Amino acid sequence: MPTPAVVEQLRKIAGRDAVLDRPEDLMLYEYDAGVRKCTPAAVVFPQNTEQVAQIMRLANSAGFPVVARGAGTGLSGGAIAPEGGVVVAFARMNRILEVDADNMRAVVQPGVVNQQMSDTVAHLGLYFAPDPSSQKACTIGGNVAENSGGPHTLMYGVTVNHVTGLTVVLPSGEVVHFGGKTAESSGYDLTGFVVGSEGTVGIVTEITVRLLRRPERIATLLGIFETIDDGAKTVAAITAEGITPAALEMLDGWTLRAVEAACHAGYPLDAGAVLLIELEGLAELVEEQAEAVRTVCFEQRAREVRRAKDENERTLLWKGRKTAFAALGRLAPSYYSQDGVVPRTRIPAVLEFIGEVAKKYGLRIGNIFHAGDGNLHPLILFDPRDPRQLELVQAASTEILEWCVNAGGSITGEHGVGLEKRNLMPLLFTDDDLDVMLSLRNAFNAAGVLNPGKLFPTTRMCRETTGPSANPVLQAEGM
Amino acid sequence: VSTTEVATGVLRELRTICGDDNARERPAGGVYVSPASAEEVAAVLRLANEHHLTVAPAGGSTHGSAALLHTDIVLHTNLLTQVEHYDHADLTVGVGAGTTIAQLDAMVKADKLMFASDPALPERCTIGGLLATASHGPLRHGYGGVRDYCIGVRFVTGEGRRAKGGGRVVKNVAGYDLMKLLIGSYGTLALITSASFKLFPAPRQTRTFLAEFATAKEALEYRDRVMASPLSPMCLELVSPGARKIMRPEMMQDSWVICVRAAGSDAVLARYRKELGLAVSRELEGENERGMWKAIEDLGCEVAADSHAEMIYLSVWPRDVSPVVDAALEASALEGVDVSVIGRVGIGLLMLRIGAAERSASEGASALIETLRQKFADRIAVKAKGATNPWPIASPSLASMRAVKHALDPSNVLRGREVF
Repeated sequence: MPTPAVVEQLRKIAGRDAVLDRPEDLMLYEYDAGVRKCTPAAVVFPQNTEQVAQIMRLANSAGFPVVARGAGTGLSGGAIAPEGGVVVAFARMNRILEVDADNMRAVVQPGVVNQQMSDTVAHLGLYFAPDPSSQKACTIGGNVAENSGGPHTLMYGVTVNHVTGLTVVLPSGEVVHFGGKTAESSGYDLTGFVVGSEGTVGIVTEITVRLLRRPERIATLLGIFETIDDGAKTVAAITAEGITPAALEMLDGWTLRAVEAACHAGYPLDAGAVLLIELEGLAELVEEQAEAVRTVCFEQRAREVRRAKDENERTLLWKGRKTAFAALGRLAPSYYSQDGVVPRTRIPAVLEFIGEVAKKYGLRIGNIFHAGDGNLHPLILFDPRDPRQLELVQAASTEILEWCVNAGGSITGEHGVGLEKRNLMPLLFTDDDLDVMLSLRNAFNAAGVLNPGKLFPTTRMCRETTGPSANPVLQAEGM
Repeated sequence: VSTTEVATGVLRELRTICGDDNARERPAGGVYVSPASAEEVAAVLRLANEHHLTVAPAGGSTHGSAALLHTDIVLHTNLLTQVEHYDHADLTVGVGAGTTIAQLDAMVKADKLMFASDPALPERCTIGGLLATASHGPLRHGYGGVRDYCIGVRFVTGEGRRAKGGGRVVKNVAGYDLMKLLIGSYGTLALITSASFKLFPAPRQTRTFLAEFATAKEALEYRDRVMASPLSPMCLELVSPGARKIMRPEMMQDSWVICVRAAGSDAVLARYRKELGLAVSRELEGENERGMWKAIEDLGCEVAADSHAEMIYLSVWPRDVSPVVDAALEASALEGVDVSVIGRVGIGLLMLRIGAAERSASEGASALIETLRQKFADRIAVKAKGATNPWPIASPSLASMRAVKHALDPSNVLRGREVF
């Protein structure tokens, strides 16, 4: 636990107004958008890379763990502080340092909000492709840590496909530069390795992102189905047609009624499911694909296929999708969002299984997800004041994720492992797989000073837990 | 103990692991071994660690002859050709590292799908080699690099530990992205035993539009117009007059060519014609089209066997392509070598073929790289083909690379004595 002297040193590094340590301030940093909580010992707001390096060096000498935090929109507990840890928050490193339209790149600080990046280059006809549903709030630094996705990753890929260079403060306090503006770098692809490492090998302080040119035409279709099964089968049928939509999202009937009540997107209230399908590119191509998608939908017994007439209608359809999680807040005090992945042909089967799990546990589970790439987000409603409910929710989630893994899928498509799913890692990975990953983490972060307790299962390490006098860094690590 | 004596004892043990037919002496010293499974690969690597021997992986040897590798054990992946999964309706496939690109292409073509890598010599180039060298062909422009669609990898670390990263689904962030670490690591960290990929729908029809220019500068200005247009071609390639002569010796024109390959319906292709405009002098389809792209893919593939030629691979800022090409031509004149250029110029990837009649091409290539390094500093990344060190310009992240190397291959067994 950092002593008052340590807090004083943090103030010397970052400035008197750049450190929080009063309990009422710290409470705001004890949670993210998931369900875990831990109050940090202090929060510091560095303004440049050198300050981050100094904070890391102090953490090593004073012996407290550190976790980086963007906007706290993460869903896996990645930015939750370890016991006695200090949060390094990037709210004051939020500048776009350079827009290089000629080379289709921008260099940004980690606190830049995802949406702000695209807004800033819109007048150049460019944008930043990764679009998590939280893009109005989430930061690019957080996107890099979690390798975030979003609806349009179906066509354009996730964050790692759009990052070519990083400045990283290693746990030792050393500042290193990986990659740059070039498409490929000399030596190992350390940029690609750090993206998605969930803040466990370094703190990213500058990011070079790839910008894309806005497509000439966008068609947004809403396929309305009587049953969730018809909708699910349409997903594979569209792929079989040789069409890769930019986005292919699905909402089940129950979820879309909740969304409609909250945001009036114009979704039909009596449908079994809807598919939100977006096609992008050259006008001629988009028109052909829109026609082909319409045909496929009807072949799969769609009741109706609507197309957004203009940008307003398009925005409204997407608003329903992107605010769906929040809309469910009207139905229950809290929800637990899962992030399993299945091969897309298994979507009908997994949805059926989720229905059975809901029945078995007596839970309400909504489905709203990235159908095109098989990335599910079952939303399980519950009341966190009832500890029994949280247990049921977690048991139901684990069953669903086990099903996904058995179907050849994964426990997380875009939210990350963090605290939430660390003990599910052995479902996917052998001891050797995890040992190899751990040896790579230890190559940079052997003492666990940076974001300890994340990503790696604690279950296989708990035998090494020592008494309360042990080093807090290692203790948080579960060692 | 002489190298031969070590080899004799080791050879016996390798034969026990892989079978008598799958381990033999190399004329250059040391042994060749062809394990047939990941378990056998792991046993070979553990043996190498035990005896302090070095191991160099070899696939189709399209980047240089395996006979020239300076190592105790050459580990061939030719028996690692199993199909681990092929889910055509999910557009994913997983195959052994020794599978050739041509074999994979043939398998997925039947389902109207496409594997989006088109490296040189697909009949020989293996999946393992493709990943280890992060090679690319013209499709790199429209489909991204292999790092963008490799979704899982199984491997044996230099230490002899079997492990994996990623999986079989197209979206997955569980655990570290070990695919990224191994792709382009030139076999220095682990031996890749199999990998899974995202596939793409095969285009139903394509056309290639050729636009010719007197200078590289004009050709690259045309590239800018294509990049700024709403078009999104599969390929956007620059071919220099020298490269064109190597590909088509009968061609007399000294022009720089921009080749644009498009896929789509008649209406889509008509739109390409309209946007690409009068600069287009020829339109190719069918056999002619395929032949031209094959020639581009394979340019430089003869280099591995020819000491009078060398290939270097550059990744530069797209805006720097024009000055880099100028600098390379200028330097080549000074050095008395021929430079032919092709490249995915929309994204700044260039391939330079250095030909030298009078002297060793590798000296010419080194001089050229040095000139480019001085001029463009950290705005350029360089890889060399068939060279002992694939990274002729020391990476600024060398210390981090060493840390990674030490974590996976602490005794420097994999390509030991060569790279680190």
